[in-house]
Amino acid sequence: MNNRIVDHPILGKIKERKVISFTFDGKKYTGYEGDTIASALLANGIRKLRVHEESGNPRGIYCNIGHCFECRLTVDQEPGVRACLTQLQENMVIESGKRLPAPLKSEGNRDDLPRNYAEFAKKYEESKEDDPRA
Amino acid sequence: MDKIIICRCEEVDLEEIEQTVNKYGSSARETKLRTRAGMGYCGGRTCRPMIDTILEQLTGEKPKDKIPLKVQPPVRPVSLARLGDKTHHE
Repeated sequence: MNNRIVDHPILGKIKERKVISFTFDGKKYTGYEGDTIASALLANGIRKLRVHEESGNPRGIYCNIGHCFECRLTVDQEPGVRACLTQLQENMVIESGKRLPAPLKSEGNRDDLPRNYAEFAKKYEESKEDDPRA
Repeated sequence: MDKIIICRCEEVDLEEIEQTVNKYGSSARETKLRTRAGMGYCGGRTCRPMIDTILEQLTGEKPKDKIPLKVQPPVRPVSLARLGDKTHHE
């Protein structure tokens, strides 16, 4: 644990608390009783909680009040658990959010697609002229 | 400046919203549907007011309601399993 503030200039020294162990992406970590998942991971130096499902860009704590769902993780097989609101429990198995396949994402430029039926019909007629088999 | 991210769930930045509005002259709702800003996992609760404000600045469109854009139930993301009461974790 390296990021935890153990002696705060105003709040004083941290009290002794029960140590709780958990795993994040298969690696063992420890936190204190009363920690949220987000605070325990932050204390362990982990700021990247998940990646954006489509682009793979890193994501971490954003609002930290359960509002934005940016810190959602998979906890004990349950997906979409907010790390900032969920208290750490003994032997929690936590998985970060991974990049997902996007099979329906169109490759071409969407501006090239017809925007109404008239445009579609015109495009279709043009393609018939180009291709004699049609 | 324009690469400011507006909708984090669907990764839509200010530039994309501005381009969409300029190209199609779209309303707040049409901009939402075209860019998917405000249609992501969090249900638009983070960026909905921002999209309305941007549209007001760009086109002068006033939000019709006190509640920005349109809010649809459920209030927070719920798994279908929980709606069907197959598993209950809380």
